[in-house]
Amino acid sequence: MLDAFSLLFQWHNLLILAGGTALGIVVGAIPGLTASMLIALTLPLTFHMDPVSAVTLLIGEYVGGISGGLITAILLRMPGTPASIVTTFDGYPMAKSGRAQRALALGITASVAGGIISWVFLAGMSPSLARFALQFGPWEYFALVLMALVMLAVLAQGSLAKGLLAAALGMAFALPGIDSSIGQARLTFGSSAMLSGFGILPVLIGAFAISQVLRDASAPKMQTEKINMPKERLPVYRSDMNTHGANMMRSSVIGTWIGLLPGIGANIAALVSYSTTKQLSHEPEKFGTGHEPGVVAGESANNASIGGALIPLITMGIPGSVTEAILIGALTIHNLQPGPLLFQNAPEIAYGIIAAYLIANIFMLLMMWSAVHHIAKVVHIPRAALLSVILVFCVLGSYAVNNSFTDVWVMVAFGVIGLVLEATKMPLGPFVIGFVLSPIAEEQLRASLMMADGNVADILTRPYALLFLALSALTVAWPWIMTKISSRKGTGA
Amino acid sequence: MTATEVQAQSFPSEPIEVIIPFNPGGRTDTVARLLAETIESNGWLDQPMVVVNAAGGAGANAVNQMRRGEADGHTIIHWHHQALIAMAMGLGDFDLGDFRSIGYTGGGSPVWAVRADSEFETIEDLIAHLQAEPRSLVEAVGIGTIPHFVGGMFANAAGFETRYVTANSGSDRLRLLLGGNADIALFAASEFLLQGEDLRALVYFGRERLPDLPDVPTATELGYDVSWANPNWWLAPADTPDEVIEVLAGALEQAISDPDIVAHFNSNTLEPYWMSGDDALEQAESILEALNEVATTIQ
Repeated sequence: MLDAFSLLFQWHNLLILAGGTALGIVVGAIPGLTASMLIALTLPLTFHMDPVSAVTLLIGEYVGGISGGLITAILLRMPGTPASIVTTFDGYPMAKSGRAQRALALGITASVAGGIISWVFLAGMSPSLARFALQFGPWEYFALVLMALVMLAVLAQGSLAKGLLAAALGMAFALPGIDSSIGQARLTFGSSAMLSGFGILPVLIGAFAISQVLRDASAPKMQTEKINMPKERLPVYRSDMNTHGANMMRSSVIGTWIGLLPGIGANIAALVSYSTTKQLSHEPEKFGTGHEPGVVAGESANNASIGGALIPLITMGIPGSVTEAILIGALTIHNLQPGPLLFQNAPEIAYGIIAAYLIANIFMLLMMWSAVHHIAKVVHIPRAALLSVILVFCVLGSYAVNNSFTDVWVMVAFGVIGLVLEATKMPLGPFVIGFVLSPIAEEQLRASLMMADGNVADILTRPYALLFLALSALTVAWPWIMTKISSRKGTGA
Repeated sequence: MTATEVQAQSFPSEPIEVIIPFNPGGRTDTVARLLAETIESNGWLDQPMVVVNAAGGAGANAVNQMRRGEADGHTIIHWHHQALIAMAMGLGDFDLGDFRSIGYTGGGSPVWAVRADSEFETIEDLIAHLQAEPRSLVEAVGIGTIPHFVGGMFANAAGFETRYVTANSGSDRLRLLLGGNADIALFAASEFLLQGEDLRALVYFGRERLPDLPDVPTATELGYDVSWANPNWWLAPADTPDEVIEVLAGALEQAISDPDIVAHFNSNTLEPYWMSGDDALEQAESILEALNEVATTIQ
């Protein structure tokens, strides 16, 4: 490990890492451009680098890319990356009520805390954690995702009925495409462009960014929302350790754990820890109105999920996300296959990844902290100019996913849908969450049933799956239980 | 000099777009990028090859993108026999008639593997078990993908049946197998070799034994007429002129003979060879016929 650090401290590797992190932050902050896109684009550059430098660059971009998203999520209510969806829930209301500075400070601190806590797991107990997570089969995945869905539906802000309706609508939009359980086209209406369904990025950019652009454009007078950005330093207090320490710790552990499970990434980590934090809170009604723990929960978890996802990647060669699949591609080009043998065959790479992850988090802190004032100036740019630039990036980003113009039209359509939802007071959060989570839940449930020959009772043999189901049931029953308990107390007193 | 000759002489007049129907990072993507880079650095074509990814829709996205380009050789696809499976399954609105085959630049075959601690030491053990207790083992497959078809052809030939669990990528299959949630899965030989100690290969679907796996029998030598060699297949739109195809094929053939590329292929259990467009198409047609048969039994 020390060797890996000393290798990394060669000036050119540090420079590459810093460059990658900076690039990641900028790209992450722009709605429509994501870390995986950046990594795919810079992949050809790494062909000519030595393997350590190549990995260093990509890890920097990965960490920066997931972190940068919080800036635009807080200041403009446009998640720069899917991972910062939940940051818009409380970050933007905070910014609107004049606490932008504080929201950014908390977001950055939570990101770094998440990164470092998950690094401890990554460096300390990679192999045993990876072996444990490996036991999770389709039933466990299904139950876990169902738990996340239920928690989010029950805890959605505003009217429960409208929240559920929005979630159901999101689920409906996830249906078209190739049904992966039977390999047949479903609800594509004969269009080959619909075979891959609605892409997650075009939907997300549409629902959040385009709807915002449309909303502002249709406002009779372009009003510049006054978001105060006082010049003084970012406010972080000693007392924050007491107020937010436990939340950061818990959210980071949740993030690490979710990251550890292959196939579900940073956005789901943030959603689950957000809803858990809300669930455990004494004042759940404050979430969604600019409540500090909301920002902390999402940003700790999404960064922590990177460290978590690196665990199965380097110990077993199993990528946790698209970004990591590209990372594996980068390694195989250098004739290195991540997996149990990596620590024996190329320890400088295995430990290099671990060391680079820690240092990238520290760079991210330094850069975001010192540059956030400059980045935050975006709110002072005339809204019309800013929105047109963002619109360009949204179109570019949607197009770049598959080099397909269909995705751009999908993005525009979901912009309009987002606007309609807003107008009918249906919350965007559950809509997007239904869209993101239901395909995973469906696929895993059907895989479970396939495996069990259609026998639903097979789940009874899976203790972890049962635990998640029990927690979901408890979530639904919780309000009812609480009223029972309080009424009993009332009569007893 | 005819117009097409003039066109061929000036070809390529702009960068050649190579469309990959998968996300970056996989074998098809890596091979395309390596060959494109070798061709460019040796100046075997006057213009660079630009690799772009259009994943999703069982290849329909890539085919649609190819159709948007001109049929003049500046827009081509690098794919493999998943294309034939998409045709056999009736996904997408394309068939062999939409393409001109430029050729194969090598390829590789898969193995069927179980966990290293599995009770099954040989493929005969496994087949005997499945024949005695049908559907008693779980096979991790992506429904409608290569593992599904290769496994299906083998099961049809040997007369057994497994239960399926959905796993759409090699890493998903690895995860399910190692975690004990599946008993059997298909892997590219390179995936298997690099994974190392945790898996045991029972049967190889190449035509001859792989030097890296001398103890693993092929299905053919066990008496089952099942083999699968997944080629790196270069395709152009149907109306692309002969002269242009020749230029592209020439550059690709040179690239696959390059010592560095040969070394990379050998160290990744890929066979480096060149097969001309017509021969490749002929092979593809006969495989498609076999796939159409399997498709009716597994749909």
